Amino acid sequence: MNIFIRLILILIPIIFFSFFYLYINDDDYYPGADFRVIDMPKFEINDLYKDQRFTHLDLEGSYLINVWASWCITCRVEHGFLQKLSDQNIPIVGLNYKDDKEDALNWINKFGDPYKFIIHDLKGRLALDMGVTGAPETFLLHNGKIIVHYRGEVNKMIWNDVFIPIINKEDIFNND
Amino acid sequence: MIKNSFYLLLIVSSMIHANSLYEFESLEDEKRFYSLIKEVRCPKCTSGSLASSNAPVSEDIKQKIIELIKEGKTDREIKDFLSFRFGNDVLYNPGFNESTYFLWITPVVFLTLCLLVFLFRRKS
Repeated sequence: MNIFIRLILILIPIIFFSFFYLYINDDDYYPGADFRVIDMPKFEINDLYKDQRFTHLDLEGSYLINVWASWCITCRVEHGFLQKLSDQNIPIVGLNYKDDKEDALNWINKFGDPYKFIIHDLKGRLALDMGVTGAPETFLLHNGKIIVHYRGEVNKMIWNDVFIPIINKEDIFNND
Repeated sequence: MIKNSFYLLLIVSSMIHANSLYEFESLEDEKRFYSLIKEVRCPKCTSGSLASSNAPVSEDIKQKIIELIKEGKTDREIKDFLSFRFGNDVLYNPGFNESTYFLWITPVVFLTLCLLVFLFRRKS
């Protein structure tokens, strides 16, 4: 009996510390990543250049949706990597979030345009429906469903660790 | 006399423009709104409720909550709507689901074990 209790007294702290040790050292844990599968909300929004109207029906197939704004400094940091993805024929749709049209166009002219098209969500109505809390955020859309939602800057490491496993699993973007 | 009425006008004129920040159809709705925003975390804050936050996204969510209240949604439906979009951690009171059952059950199991060991020892 005494041995049993002694064993428990020794085991409890060991389990406790190993639990936290494993939890803290979990390298694959990305707090910004959300892998729940959610239907893409329906929308109808003007594009940034005001001559076309886009709806959710224009997003058939697979796309990255990148939420950005000219006031967002991290978006500037992220921009180079998006350009690289776009060079690899990955279709990216820009969602311009709560931004002045002029500022956004100037930004695109200055730094380049990695987007297939850009929708202008001035009030952030669509973004709220998609669960956007700020910029930048990136979504992976596949057949009308959001399958990855990443809050924060996407760079090479995030792309390889968060997006690539899902892209390979679902067999997306292998048309090149 | 003119001077006094001028002062009076100054004092009263500010009240003409006084208005509540959010418009509600009934007092009941207003109460529901103010209790809801205390129970929902602002997704952009480390740990602050919507009520404590002026972040743009919090303002948007507050407007959305008002809209949903006007549409006649229940508190449960509004909370589900928000946790569906912003994740379970926007709710301060964690529900009982597959990611939290461990959290809820462990203390009960632990206390039961303690009690069992205690009773067992007393007998021997």
